Amino acid sequence: MSEKNSTLGQVFATLLLRLWLGIRALQTGVEKFAGKVMSDQSVEVDGKAYDPDLTEVASTKAYALDNYSGVPAALKETFKGEPLMMNWALNIFDKVLGPALIILGITILLGVANRVSLLILGLIYVGLTWGLILIKQDSGVAWLGIHVVMVAMALNWANHNRLCILKKW
Amino acid sequence: MMNRRDFLAKGSTAAGAGLVLAAPSILKAADGNNDKINVALIGMGKQGRVLFEAMSNIPGLHFQAVCDIWDYNLKGGAGKVRALQGAMPNTYTDIDDLLEKEKGLDVAVVATPDFWHSPHTVKCLEAGLDVYCEKMMSNTIEGARAIVRATEKSGKLCQIGHQRRSNPRYRFTLDHLINNNKVCGTIVNINGQWNRALKSSQDISYNKRLTIDSERLSKYGFKDMHQFMNWRFYRDLSGGPISDLGAHQIDVFGWFLNCKPKSVYASGGNDYFKTREHFDNVMAIFEYDAPQGPVRAFYQVLTTTSAGGGFYESFMGTDGTVNISEMASSSAIYRESTAPEWEDLVRRGYMRKKPAPPKPAASDGVASYESAAPEEYTIPGVLNKPPHQPHLENFFASVRGNAKLNCDARHAFESEAPIFWVNPSALKKEPIVFTPEQLQV
Repeated sequence: MSEKNSTLGQVFATLLLRLWLGIRALQTGVEKFAGKVMSDQSVEVDGKAYDPDLTEVASTKAYALDNYSGVPAALKETFKGEPLMMNWALNIFDKVLGPALIILGITILLGVANRVSLLILGLIYVGLTWGLILIKQDSGVAWLGIHVVMVAMALNWANHNRLCILKKW
Repeated sequence: MMNRRDFLAKGSTAAGAGLVLAAPSILKAADGNNDKINVALIGMGKQGRVLFEAMSNIPGLHFQAVCDIWDYNLKGGAGKVRALQGAMPNTYTDIDDLLEKEKGLDVAVVATPDFWHSPHTVKCLEAGLDVYCEKMMSNTIEGARAIVRATEKSGKLCQIGHQRRSNPRYRFTLDHLINNNKVCGTIVNINGQWNRALKSSQDISYNKRLTIDSERLSKYGFKDMHQFMNWRFYRDLSGGPISDLGAHQIDVFGWFLNCKPKSVYASGGNDYFKTREHFDNVMAIFEYDAPQGPVRAFYQVLTTTSAGGGFYESFMGTDGTVNISEMASSSAIYRESTAPEWEDLVRRGYMRKKPAPPKPAASDGVASYESAAPEEYTIPGVLNKPPHQPHLENFFASVRGNAKLNCDARHAFESEAPIFWVNPSALKKEPIVFTPEQLQV
């Protein structure tokens, strides 16, 4: 099917799907850098700060490179008991996941090599699904399955893609 | 608030500005290196990593060596140290090897399985190190006694990891709410619990490729890898749930009442986990003759449900009840309708008043038999750092001579001694009235 044959509905559907997948990947990647900034507003008793460690609000959300955690610590602990999970692979996944999601989110949103970007994103979701199958997180598996279906739909409709910086690939 | 990483980063900025060449000695003093404490991390399992994360926020510590019998923990722990301070620590699988080879160590932080706490702590004290040792001091009362004797013989510092003793919320509650302002009136009962979900109480599995060879396991007291991963289930290696979870909270009972219990009566069983050596559920009643009068304290540790409010300690008095927990959301203060007004305490910031609960419907026949619902207040503030950090800060400040330990070995022993008698009481299905010998070093 050539681009000229696309209906307006197909173009919008592809654009919406691209936006959803791009934002989903980008913000998920950014959230890997989220952490907490501890409050320094001490509790006041009799008009004086009681203790610098005792503050009004525990923390507020903030983003920083130091906060990065690709695979949550609790999941990493769980994977430790899985004989099929290779530790080196988990370490690579842990380091790469956040930056990869951010880059793919940006390329999908901007329309840079969308087919390749979507394929890589789909493969990441497949990798995550495998991990969740190992630890029997069936609801997570189903959730990621929906993501893979959406990626497949986006790839299938790639011919209707518009507003792209790099259409090739 | 500046953490250790910020502290080091800001130090580097100063160096970049040329201060290194101009005044290196001043810079050295400024970055705290003159107060540098060389630390050995003994045990880098789950709890060891929790302590390390808390210590990573404390300035002036140099993690010189790491010891763990499991290569997985050893490499992972050393990697975390390298990420923090930019250089790999020396690594060991054997503590004797570490103590023989490492020079210039000041401190050991012991977070090994319970049955190793006492031998490891005693070795480190005898090697001239100050020691921070996780609770319980041991899986046996004799092991705990050995730590007290070794501490007092060596003249070194030994802090036991009952971290609530350094938590400013707990200290505020004891000093200002219970003691100075007597919001509980006369404390008559205490209730404490740790209810943990079945999901969190399962056997810990492991990757077979990471199995420790049987010779090494045997050398360090484990019959196999499953026992190594699940040492808390075994009587020769641990005190079981009453020790793992209950010790923290039963410690608070005695600390707040400022006395030891006179008896314990416990019940426990393998109600769900039939093959484990330790009871999965334990309930215990301690009786105290506190300076203010007799107090009965109930404690339960359940490993088959998380219902019932998780974990907290509740001090119930004639004027009010203080519920306190490491989780601020589980803390509350309830005022009895006959108690003196607390408005002045609210105005001065000692507590916050919560909105009144809805009144029971007039048509509810049962409601007429009930006492009026107590007014609810909250303890002000939350701890703004990891829960173990203040206790570690207190330890390192004491090592520097700037503070006094909040839970030294002798005080920790006084707190832990009654806990060693809970399982025997439950096994015999008999109350134990303590003799002085049972609670003494």
